[in-house]
Parts: sequence; C-alpha cells; structure tokens
Amino acid sequence: MVSYIVKRILGALGTLLIIMAITFVLMNAIPGSPFLTEKSTPQMIELANKKYGLDQPLLVQFKNYVLNYLRGDLGVSLKMQEGTEVSKIIFGQGKFELSLKLGLLALALAVLIGIPLGCIAAYKRGSWLDGFLRVVTTVGVAIPTFVLATLMLVFFAVQLGWLPVKSNTLPDFKSYIMPVISLSAYYTCYVAKLTRTSMLDAINQDYIRTARAKGVKTSKLVLKHALRNSLIPVVTYLGPVTAGIITGSFVVESTFQIPGLGRYFVQSVLNRDYTVIMATTVILSALVIIMNLVVDLVYRLVDPRITLTTKGD
Amino acid sequence: MAENKKLIEVKDLKVSFYTPAGEVKAVDGISYSLGYNEVMGVVGESGSGKSVEAYSIIGLLQSPGKVIGGSITFEGEDLLAYTPEQMRQFRGNKVSMIFQNPMTCLNPVYTIGNQLMEALLCHDKSISKEEAYNRAVEMLKKVGINNAENRMKQYPHEHSGGMRQRAMIAMALICKPKLLIADEPTTALDVTIQAQILELMKELQREENTSIIFITHNLGVVAEICDWVSVMYAGKIVEQGRVNDIFYHPQHPYTKGLLASMPRLDADSHERLIPIEGTPIDLLNPPKGCNFAPRCSECRKICLREKPPFTDMGDGHISACWLHLQNKETQKDAGEEKPEA
Amino acid sequence: MTEKFAKISPFMVDPEPIEKAFQLQDGDFERATSDEKESVVEKHKSISYWRDAGRRFRANTVSMVALFIFILILLFAFLGPALIPYDYAQQYRTAQKLAPGEFSKEEQLVQNVGKHCDGFFATTLQAGSLTAIRKGDYYISADGKTYAFNVSKAIEKAILVYIKDSETPLSVVKMKDVNEDGTWNDSTPIETTDTPAEGATQIKLVKSVFPHVFGTDSAGRDLMARTMFGARVSIIIGIAAALIVLVIGSIYGSISGLAGGTTDFIMMRVVELIYSIPEVLIVLLLQVVLKDPLQAWFDANKTGFVGALGDLGSGIVSIFITFALLYWVTMARIVRGQVLQLKKQEYVTAAVALGASKWRIIRRHLLPNAVGALVITTCLQIPSAIFLESFLSFLGLGVSAPMASLGSLCSDALESITLYPYRLIFPAVILTLIVLTLNLIGDGLRDALDPRLKK
Repeated sequence: MVSYIVKRILGALGTLLIIMAITFVLMNAIPGSPFLTEKSTPQMIELANKKYGLDQPLLVQFKNYVLNYLRGDLGVSLKMQEGTEVSKIIFGQGKFELSLKLGLLALALAVLIGIPLGCIAAYKRGSWLDGFLRVVTTVGVAIPTFVLATLMLVFFAVQLGWLPVKSNTLPDFKSYIMPVISLSAYYTCYVAKLTRTSMLDAINQDYIRTARAKGVKTSKLVLKHALRNSLIPVVTYLGPVTAGIITGSFVVESTFQIPGLGRYFVQSVLNRDYTVIMATTVILSALVIIMNLVVDLVYRLVDPRITLTTKGD
Repeated sequence: MAENKKLIEVKDLKVSFYTPAGEVKAVDGISYSLGYNEVMGVVGESGSGKSVEAYSIIGLLQSPGKVIGGSITFEGEDLLAYTPEQMRQFRGNKVSMIFQNPMTCLNPVYTIGNQLMEALLCHDKSISKEEAYNRAVEMLKKVGINNAENRMKQYPHEHSGGMRQRAMIAMALICKPKLLIADEPTTALDVTIQAQILELMKELQREENTSIIFITHNLGVVAEICDWVSVMYAGKIVEQGRVNDIFYHPQHPYTKGLLASMPRLDADSHERLIPIEGTPIDLLNPPKGCNFAPRCSECRKICLREKPPFTDMGDGHISACWLHLQNKETQKDAGEEKPEA
Repeated sequence: MTEKFAKISPFMVDPEPIEKAFQLQDGDFERATSDEKESVVEKHKSISYWRDAGRRFRANTVSMVALFIFILILLFAFLGPALIPYDYAQQYRTAQKLAPGEFSKEEQLVQNVGKHCDGFFATTLQAGSLTAIRKGDYYISADGKTYAFNVSKAIEKAILVYIKDSETPLSVVKMKDVNEDGTWNDSTPIETTDTPAEGATQIKLVKSVFPHVFGTDSAGRDLMARTMFGARVSIIIGIAAALIVLVIGSIYGSISGLAGGTTDFIMMRVVELIYSIPEVLIVLLLQVVLKDPLQAWFDANKTGFVGALGDLGSGIVSIFITFALLYWVTMARIVRGQVLQLKKQEYVTAAVALGASKWRIIRRHLLPNAVGALVITTCLQIPSAIFLESFLSFLGLGVSAPMASLGSLCSDALESITLYPYRLIFPAVILTLIVLTLNLIGDGLRDALDPRLKK
C-alpha cells in the first residue's frame, strides 16, 4: 500500500513538472516583455531582464524555476507588485486564504446539499418533488457561473439591496452568500443529478433484488445498500469539481471584487507578470492534483473491490 | 414423515406486463400446488413465464408487471392480499429466493458476514449481534464453506462463483423458510460446481424439510432434484406430473421435444441433435389456438383453432394437447408407451 | 421416494369435459400444413433502429419542447437580423443608453413626423457620419410607383418625407423645422422622375421608427441586434468546436483502438496525461499567447481561408485551437471503446463462418450504437463549448471587439450594472436558454438512442 501511495505522489509531481514546463513554454511564447511600458527604452528593458535573470537561455531559466520552487522560493513579482516576493503576495496578503475559504465552502455545499438532494429525488422517483428537483438541477447546470454571479448581483444587491455589491475581503457573513452560492451552484446541481442517476442505477442492480428477497426494509435498501454503491461515481467526480471551483473562482472573484488568488491569476495573465503566472499556475494545479489523489485514495476505501495494492485504473 | 398438507397453492395465476407496445401476457393462467417437503421443477425456455410466476409469489414483481388474476395461497393465507409491510416480513422468512447470477447478486461493498447477518436481523430484532454472528457462521459451515469465520469478514469479490452461490443459499435458508424458490441457481456456474450445488441443495432440503420450487431450463438438473415437474410454454403450463412420469412417459409434444433435444452420452457421434424448430411466439399477440402449435411437429388443424384443455393421465399427470383427445382410449395405456427417442 | 407423497393428486386442475366447451369438427385431427402454421404467427414488424429511436425521441415531451425553443433561438439569431433594421456594430450617437423600447429624443421626434406623412427616411437616425445621403442618384418605390431623384448637395440632419397624394410627394424637411408634435414648418420639395438613373441606390421608406426592443448601450448600439449577433457567434463557435473535437477525437480514438498493442498503450497514456492537466489554466494562457501571433498571421494574409479565419478574429480562432489541443480526449476514449467493441465482434463472428451475415451484424447492431454514442457526445459538447467560450469572453480573453458573443455582452454589461441591469439580463437569459435546451436535447437523444440506459 505504501508503495502505491509513493508511486502516485511521484506521478503527481511528474504531472506538476510537466505543467510547469508547459506554462513556461507558453509564457515565453507571449510576445512582449513585462517591462514594456510607454516610457521604457531598450536599455531599461535589458537591464531589467538581466536583473531578473530573463536574459539567460531558456533551459537555464527553467532549471532555476524548478530548483527555486523546490526550495519554496516562488520568485519575485515582475510587474504588478514589483519587487515583492510572490510567496508573500499569495500567502501573506491573504489571497490564498480567501480563495481557499470560498473554495472549501463551495465544495462543502456541493457535497452536503447535492448528495442528499439526489438521494431524495431517487427515492421519490416520479413524484412532484423529484420532478421539481430535476428541473432545478437541469437549469442549474445550464447557467454559466458568471451569469449566475452577475444575475445575483443585479437582483439581490442592486435591485433589492439585501446583500452587498462588493464582497471584498468577506468581512461578514452576508458577503459570503452570493459568492459561495454562485460558485457552488453548478456543482451542487451536478452532484445532485449524478447522485440521483447512480442511485437509480444501484437500485436496479441484482444485489438490491437479493436484499429485497431477504426482506430488508426499503429505507434500509436505499440508505445502506444503494447509497454506498452510488457514492462511488460521485466521489470520482470530486476531482473535476475542485478544478471547476478553481476555474469558477476567476469569475466569482472578479464579479464580486474579492481580492483572491483566482482574480489575481487572471490579472497576472493579462499583465504578463511571468513569475506570478507561474507560481499561481503551479499552486492551483497542485491543488487539483492533490484533490485527485485524495479522491483516488478515498475511492479505493469506499469500494473494497479495489485494493490499494492494485495497479492501473 | 409423509406430509400431505398443501404448503402453497397457485390457482389460475395471470400476470401481464403493460408495456408501451401493449399487454404482454407473461403468465396466462397457471395452477399448481406444492406440499410440505416437496420439490417441484418448473421447466421452460426463456420467456415462458417461469420466473415471472415465481416473482409473484414472493412479491418481487415490478411495474409494468401486474398480477391480474388468480390467487396464491400460502399456508392458508392469501399472498396477493398482503400489504407491502406484511410481504416484507414474509420474504426471506417464510419464503426465500435465490437467483441466477451469483456474481452480481451480492452487494460488493459489504462483507459476506454482514449480509448474512442482515438476513436474520431484518426479521428478528430480538436476536443479539453475537447470536446472529454465531448462527451465520453455523450456516456458512452448513453450506459447505470451510474456514467460515474468516469468510465472514471477506467481501464477495474474494469468493468464487460457487462459493457465492453457497453464501446465497445460506442467506436464503438462515431464517429457516418453508419454501425456497430457486431461479436457475446453477445456470451460471461451471458444470462441476453445478453438481456440487445441486448436491448441497438436495442435502439441505432433506435436513431442513424445505420445499423447493426449482426453476430451470435444464432437464438434467430437474431429474436430479425434483419430485414433481411443471413444463411451461409461453405463459401456460403444458404438462405437469411426477418426475418419473414426465421423463419416462412424456405426453406433450413440447416435453417430448425437450427431452429429445438433450444431447445424450450414449448417442452415436453421427447422430444429429434434434432441436425444436422455430422460435418462441410473440406474447404481445398470442395465437388463437395452442401456443405451441406453430412449432409442433404433430400440429393438427384444431390445434390452430382452439386452445387445448388439460387431460388427466392419472396420479397428478396432466397434459394440455388435442392429441390426447384423439387417442382418448389409449390414455390408460400411458404406462405402456415406449419413451420416444 | 414414493412414500413421501400423498396418494391424493397434489395438482388440482380438473380436466374439462370437451363436449361442453368446444365444437369438434370433421377433419380437425388432420395434420396442419406448414403454411397454415405460418399464417397463425404474426410477423414482427421489424422497425429500423433509427426510426425506433426517432419515435422515442418524439415521445419525449421535454426534449421536444427544448428542441422547439432551440429552433426559436436559432431563428432569432440567424433570421432576426433580417427583420430589424439595426446592425450589431452601428452606433447611433443620438440613441445612447436607452431602456428597452424607449425612443431617444430624436427618434421620438422622427416617430411623430411619421404620423403626418405616408413614409419617411430620417438621416438623423443614421450612424455617426455627418452626411447621411451623399451626392448621387437615388430612387424610392412606394405605392406601386417609382420616384427617382438626384442629390446634388448632401442631405444631412433632415428627413425625406413622402406624402402620397401631394403634388410633390417627396420633400426634404430639416430637423430644425420639425415641431415637437411632428408637424413641420417648412419643407423643400424634390423633383422626381419615373425612371431611376443607372446605378441609382434605392432608399427604403419606413412608416415608423423601429423600437430598440432591448434598448441600447453606451455607444448607441441596438442591444437586440447585438444579442442576435452574439447568439449567432456563440452558437457557431459551439458547433464548430464540437465538430473539431469530433473529428480529432474520432481519428485519434480509431487509430488507437485499431492499432492496439503498444501504440494503443502509449496513445492512451497521452490521453490520461492531458486529462490530468487542469485545462482552464492552460486555456487562459493559450488565449493570451496565441492572440498576437495569430493577429500577425491574419494581417499578412487577408484572402482565402486564412482571410476568412481572420474575419473571425484571433480570439475565436484561438478558442478553436485550444479545443483542438485539449478537449478531444473524452471523444477519443468513447470512439476507442466503440472500435474495440467492433473488433471483438469481428473475432466472434469470424469464428463462426457466417459469410455475409457478419457485416450485417456489424452494420445493424454495432454501427448504430457507435454512431449513436458519437451523436450524443457531440451534441453535449456544443453547450460545454459555448460555456467555455462565454467564460473566456467574459474574462476578456475570447472574442475581440467589434465582434460580440453572449459572454462578452455580459461582460460589457457589468460595468453599468447598477444603472442598466437589462443590458445583462437579455444576453444572460439567452445564453442560459441555449445551453439548457442543448443539454435537454442531448439528454433526449441519449434516452432515445440507448434506451437501456433509462429504466
């Protein structure tokens, strides 16, 4: 079992390295330099390049990146907050914390609301409640996150004035509501749909028929036998959910003016701040990869058919 | 030890499926009864309705299927009048069922022990966990699973097909039901395992005095374990009788065809296998006359017009065929008829 | 064994006396011929797989309603622009920031003019340029007659008014001569002839000002026209991206499945690698990276295929490239799965000497299944492509001005959301409807083509 975990971690690091490489290549393919402003002269640019080591051959630069990162040195911002250490920007200025807060809340919402809703819909299949939930969830996965975020903003903040227009650093409970809901809505609905489908699938299985033939109570059939089997695909989906929530944070943070990591990433891309781009990409990718790893381990715990010593998916 | 009381009585049972394409008469009026400690085989092709009628006994019939006629009486009680809760308590307790595919019939995420104990605990809340555990272990031993204590902690995927079927049997018998319905329990198993499971079932049947309804399409299995046989075709029983009568003096052309199509070890290698020609009928639009007529080599004109009544051959042996009425006089000589090859 | 059983017959069916129930006829016991036997059996109407699927789809109310709404949206996006006189890019400086249905002051004035004549052409309602009708030959068709005239000095800030039964039906009214109620103090008649000069431009008269149904934005552009255009762009991008994914994924998956062995292994590892990369991060970078080089490429080649791509804009093309690079993996997996199934079938049927029937089995059973899976996946790719594109456009990384997509329209609307919320609502609702209906149609297709999936 330990060897398996080690193998997976190595694989994860490998993927991370590849992502760093891709990002590095892409960044250097962007024409223009971060130092190019209206006032800059070629000499200034050259000096700045030298200062930040951007005049070195690409492979050397990449090697430096990787080595530094292994040491925890994420470099220094080249443009947006020139001279400040990137690690300080991300972690010290509360950006990472904010995004993490939002993200975890959204994830929790998706799981804690989505799964029960899906179960209820499956259990009460064909009833009006099921129909209603299906409509809501179908619409829910059709609304792009930014549409929901902006619509909520218009409706609840602008028109009704119940909730603040700018959520900023999430000072109070009210400021959480719209960002978290718009961030998690799509995934809550998707998880609910997924749970419902896999529950209905599970209920069709032979082992449910056996349990029924044994005389097991219906509620127990659903909660004990069907549920655990149907959670398997839902757990697998949590990886993409994390990725999606990170993506969604770009939009949600921009819409509600929350100074989080997602918004900063978009800004860094638009501003061509290499070091920040690289650092943010790595951190966000690492989050996704970690989540996938965790999900994989949990998945193997939930489904005893797959032991931790089994190789290959 | 002869028990001649009736355990279960099925009278003119009719089950239909209401599909978008129309009403499918899966079971079109069948009757039989089974006494205590007796084993009856129900033989037929896929689509003959043999499983459907068993499902209606145990209340597992799901929409769009519905019992639309007849009655099922178990120890004097009308099963069709049971409330869902009564049916739930009845299932697994008085009547149990085991199914065809042991690979998919056990929940993969729970241990064998858990599922076995569940069979007990869902009916009798007063049993302590410990006692349930002990009885479960005992049952596993009874069905021939060695190392029972360890097996209790293992998951279904760690067992072979034969062992899983044994575990299923254990689950079915742990509450000591009076009737066990076995829906093709050996069909999905290797031949050698089949024999073992059959032996096991015979043994348990003797020990526990359980009656069995054994559904299969395999006549060889029927010969092994059954006392009585009902042959079904297209939702109707075409022939019924003691196992010896059916095998040595089959009356209905379909039964004869089934017997003839069985490959025999002592046959010449040149001899061709004799299948029954044709394909099963469409139950959406059953023919006016005898359901088997289009495939019957002995088909007469009246067979296409009217459905044949049952003819009693004596000692519980009945057959529904027009030919018997043609040879009414020769029926009493049924015992002297040579078996047809 | 015999002791166990009672001597009473356990079966309780009583044989019915036949004379009572049936009429036996002469010759009843003659053997039936095989023809007679066949006639009793009703042959199944063999329905083709596709017709059956079509029937199932049509029976699915939700999907049919979704299909209907989607067609309405298609009409809105593709036919709509022909129905309204406004263009998505034209800015009407006098008609800025209007609410839905509202008229600007100028427009209201002109509208009132319309009440006092049988037709008009207002130069003030045209875009930015000072001269609305330049020097040249023109003609108007009205009430079955043609009025041709020549303009020697440009007509601006004026209205061409047409009064049917007047001596000089066509006249020019200067805006400053128009009163609030639409009447005018002074007008200059125009000399007209019956025959238009060669190469004369036709001017279309209108009876009233077409309202800005969705309002206008800060630059005076009609929002309905922009929404129609944006819808068109989004839908086309969605379909094109889905097709790209289909083609690339199918080719890759087929090769992988057919080749088998090491090739297949390697190709699948690549798929897994791409799968494990969080795509959106890379997509964002790609958008930025590709923008300038693409733009340079387009600037260099303005004709032919590249020119056409250039018209789309670098934003859209880079979206296509992104899809081509990253999003085909799911499709590849599905296609490979189908190909593997096909291969298995080949071996099985090859073992049994069936000759021609082998192909029939493949054609009748496997290909419909395979095609069905492809159709469903492609159909469900479209909304996710639209999703992605609108996301990118919203962030400013998708389509570039003057092109508009529903995503960029939403983004534009954000700035002034407190003042003009309607600017957001229209594109947002239409975007949601597009994605919703496509999802429902895709679900309906899935239920229709593979009923095993549904209970």
